[in-house]
Amino acid sequence: MKSEIRPIDESLSEFLRDESRSTGSADTISFPTSEEEIRETVKSEYSQGHRITVQGGRTGLAAAAVPNGGHVLNLSRMNKILGMRQENGVFYVTVEPGTVLSELKKALSSKKIPTAAFDAQSMEAYRAFCASPLQQFPPDPTESSATIGGMTACNASGARSYHYGATRNWVEGLRLVLSDGDVLLLKRGQTFADGKKLTLTSVGGRTITVDLPSHTMPKTKNASGYFTADNMDAVDLIIGSDGTLGVLSAIELRLCPEPEIMWGLTCFFGSEDSAARFVDLTRRAIGNLASLEYFDCGALTLLRRQKEQTTAFARLEKIPEDADCAVYTEIHCQNEDEAYRSLFTVGDIMRQCGADESKTWVARTAQDRDRLYFFRHATPESVNMTIDKRKKETPGLTKLGSDMSVPDEALVRVLHMYNEDLQAAGLEYVKFGHIGNNHLHVNILPRNMEDYKAGKAIFKKWAEEITKMGGAVSAEHGVGKLKAAFLEVMYGHEGIAAMARIKRSFDPAGLFGTGNLFNPADFE
Amino acid sequence: MKFIVCVKQVPGSNEVRLDPETHAIIRDAHAAVINPLDYVALDCAVKLKRRNGGEIIALSMGIPATERLLRDACARGADRAMLLTDRAFAGSDTLATSYALSLGIEKEGSCDLILCGKNAIDGDTAQIGPELAATLGYNLITDVTEVIDIDKKFITAVKTTDSGSETVKAALPAVITLLNGREMPALPTVSGVRYSLEAPVDKYTAAELGADTSRTGFAGSPTSVVKTFVSENTRECRDMGLDAAAAAAFLIDEIRKAGGAQ
Repeated sequence: MKSEIRPIDESLSEFLRDESRSTGSADTISFPTSEEEIRETVKSEYSQGHRITVQGGRTGLAAAAVPNGGHVLNLSRMNKILGMRQENGVFYVTVEPGTVLSELKKALSSKKIPTAAFDAQSMEAYRAFCASPLQQFPPDPTESSATIGGMTACNASGARSYHYGATRNWVEGLRLVLSDGDVLLLKRGQTFADGKKLTLTSVGGRTITVDLPSHTMPKTKNASGYFTADNMDAVDLIIGSDGTLGVLSAIELRLCPEPEIMWGLTCFFGSEDSAARFVDLTRRAIGNLASLEYFDCGALTLLRRQKEQTTAFARLEKIPEDADCAVYTEIHCQNEDEAYRSLFTVGDIMRQCGADESKTWVARTAQDRDRLYFFRHATPESVNMTIDKRKKETPGLTKLGSDMSVPDEALVRVLHMYNEDLQAAGLEYVKFGHIGNNHLHVNILPRNMEDYKAGKAIFKKWAEEITKMGGAVSAEHGVGKLKAAFLEVMYGHEGIAAMARIKRSFDPAGLFGTGNLFNPADFE
Repeated sequence: MKFIVCVKQVPGSNEVRLDPETHAIIRDAHAAVINPLDYVALDCAVKLKRRNGGEIIALSMGIPATERLLRDACARGADRAMLLTDRAFAGSDTLATSYALSLGIEKEGSCDLILCGKNAIDGDTAQIGPELAATLGYNLITDVTEVIDIDKKFITAVKTTDSGSETVKAALPAVITLLNGREMPALPTVSGVRYSLEAPVDKYTAAELGADTSRTGFAGSPTSVVKTFVSENTRECRDMGLDAAAAAAFLIDEIRKAGGAQ
């Protein structure tokens, strides 16, 4: 059965936008509730030559869920947990793509999972899960209303990916509805490329042959374009494909035990160089840190201002007066002795870097940790609030946010490059995010359209510089529409052409996620 | 000046488990935290000490594992701690608890100011502070949101009232109970945590405090919990199918019928 196709009118206009704050256009929308409905809808829309944009929580920052004409396939109603299994002591859970991350986390931490749809094997695994220590799905993008489908499509990560890796590490299998309504079922460890040649067989028996691009992927955190490697697992091609190859209808996730101890720690520094040295030393010295997150001088200035001027942020922690910047880290381990050792090592390293361990915030309870998360999340929120205010004066303005990563040895160099370029252009900016992975989000806060244009030009330049450093233009947000132009800088014309060939073997008419990864004109 | 901050161990989550026989709260040391308003009291003491100098002692009555939370209080600014721990204290209601705490305070000799959170999130009685003041014969200011001034003789504080706020001056020694202020209480620091592992935590039994055991624990608690239950939500939603004006008229009528404001 096909789900109802509704014309997009005023009441549905929110589905033309996402968290990237860009707006697209579409003629129709559907909200399928089963794989069968996805299959029928895709078959019908695709055969009529309509473009199909897949949506989940619309929390993405690269506009991948913003439609580019045609049909919007919104999967938010496909949010059931379908089953569980246990193998060699490891738990796996299968979810529909519209499952919201925060809901999944809640179900896992409370061990309350609706089991009405579970078969006997799932029920047995569920009973074992209930009797086991708490299990977690570690990826933690800032926006916890993201869906698992969206996270898989853009290979999302978050603060803890420093230790646990991106979504890719936790996806064990998936089902992908293809352009003709057929389904591709992939399980990790079952289908591998032969060198750079991948042969896939659909559930309906169709064979898809894929020639993987010959370029090598950067060794940094990366969510830029199709994954490619010699003899790679086929699952990895679909993860991070940004809705350009088909429609995810189910995803199996691997779980791992939640650590007994999770302590948060914010450390303040008098200069950026001191913080960068701290990061370098800590990642060599301490093995149980789940995240290393940065707040630069601009971020702390913005947060101090928010605390003073905005009621919603009045309860933010009071930042030490002489602090220039800060690093947040989280200690994950199994016992307190180990946690104390790491905590005090952090203090020792701070001293080595000229910082003072009494300028720290330690969170050893869930309640205190929530306060530090609130502080962490207040940075991007404050940026958005500032932009929204300025947008009223200059409607064309949007936030300019970068998502680039570099190898360890290039961290100091990239920090200097960011500051020099932005200060030379006289732009207002904040840098924050995943410094442990040398992956900072630089958010430019344009005051007018000149600032906006200058910022865009700087990002373009950085894409080139960062590629030379061996980095990635998108480390976790995915490429979507907003960063498609950077992809060519990173992989060159030949690399893009090779990726376009992959897309054609799945999507001959170029209708899935039009504008994502590829400029539509380039693709034609 | 000497500040004593009373802290209570409360469950770290919203799921409170009750002993089916005694109806007392089962306290699991690992998941326990300090009552949130007690952090506010501690934070207030830390600020007063910063201004006036002195010493902060965190005081609690509880199971031996409460020591962990008292060390947490030391990480947040207490200089040392006292734990009153004895089977004789088990099952104490607020009267027996405030009696035991008053013995701990007397053990300290002199004290200028006792700070308590207004109430605990589990029992929610808000009785300990006032009962302590009565037992010790100290002045009392409840519902304090800000201490304006303190010197050797007096404390001046702002307290909330039903109609707004009042500024009250009281002679020391005194007890104050605190509400959330404008700022969140400060978090511990790495140096604070380092200190807390070595900080003195003195433990006292009922006998060491010279307690009259007819006034402690179950024996000293006139309160008996007969039954606890989660109240049922009996509200229901009805669609009246009315437009805004008719709906407003209907509501006014219902409120009048229920004896509400005219």
